[in-house]
Amino acid sequence: MKTNLKRGKVTMAIAISIACFALVLVMFMQFKIVNQTDITAIENMREAELRTELANWKAKYEETETKYQETSEKIEEYQQTKQSNEETEKLVDTELDQVNMTLGKTDVEGEGIEIILRETEDEDISKIKAGNLLVIVNALKSAGAEAISINEERIINMSDVVTINNTFNDFIKVNGQRILAPYVIQAIGNQTYLESALLGNGGCVDELKKLGHDVSINKINRLKIMKYKDEIKTKYME
Amino acid sequence: MIGIAILIGCLFGAILGMNAPMISYTYSSYLAIAVIAALDSVFGGITSVIRKNFDLKIFITGFFGNAILSILLTILGQKLNVDIYLAAIVVFVGRMFTNLAIIRRYYVDKWSERLKEKNKSQTEEIQK
Repeated sequence: MKTNLKRGKVTMAIAISIACFALVLVMFMQFKIVNQTDITAIENMREAELRTELANWKAKYEETETKYQETSEKIEEYQQTKQSNEETEKLVDTELDQVNMTLGKTDVEGEGIEIILRETEDEDISKIKAGNLLVIVNALKSAGAEAISINEERIINMSDVVTINNTFNDFIKVNGQRILAPYVIQAIGNQTYLESALLGNGGCVDELKKLGHDVSINKINRLKIMKYKDEIKTKYME
Repeated sequence: MIGIAILIGCLFGAILGMNAPMISYTYSSYLAIAVIAALDSVFGGITSVIRKNFDLKIFITGFFGNAILSILLTILGQKLNVDIYLAAIVVFVGRMFTNLAIIRRYYVDKWSERLKEKNKSQTEEIQK
């Protein structure tokens, strides 16, 4: 009877210890889970929390969406204005380039002719004067020359071609620079027009030739005319 | 004896539980309800030991049956969208308190009896 009772007590103790073991095991596992899981993570949220969170996000999303739309509209506007600005800028740029070219502020290249005037060494024949050069330049201009230079001096709208009278020796000044024979006049334009304007019966070249000077005209397909070397200044003009 | 058994069981359980692998958070609620059920069973077991009507079969079936039943109820509750686990917790915790009250009363009675006996023996000694 006594051993029976003792055995019963032992099995009872073992059963309770096993139960406690299982209980505490599961409890500690649960502690670990609760400790290590981030309650704010979406996967672990309760349904109600998820609902409010979702609503929040939706509102935020809508707000962002409207803001995005506004911004994109603004960007489009800016782009349009930028495009128009660019167009005008391009226009202004091309205009500026053209103006610079015609003004003589840049080197220009193109088909044209080259006139070389060599003076005779004959003392009896009058020397080539600025007037002769001016007549040639004028003829070239009337024949549609787009750029002209005399001895690398670009002829611009305010260029001067004058003869300076010296007691011993006359000389010609172009753009305030003294130039010497042989005179090389270069002009960009339609080659045939330019040439025919100079040649012709009674033309200026003809006249010079008659006087005895040596005049040669070359057609050049890629003629380069240098820019005006000085600065273009205005003082009185407004 | 039972105290030692509980202590050893808790110790081993704690050591193993701390080294156990992580379980996904989704099963955490089932585990929690199982813990409550098991806790109730253990207190019930201790109470029955004190009342001297401990039955191994009833204890073991109660231990596992309660845990499994509560887990199943929780799953069912989730499927029905009703928080059935709340009812299980109410029942288990209520029973836990009654069991705890029984255990407490038993030990308080034991302690007060011992105190009385001590007083008696002391008075007897004085009388001698």
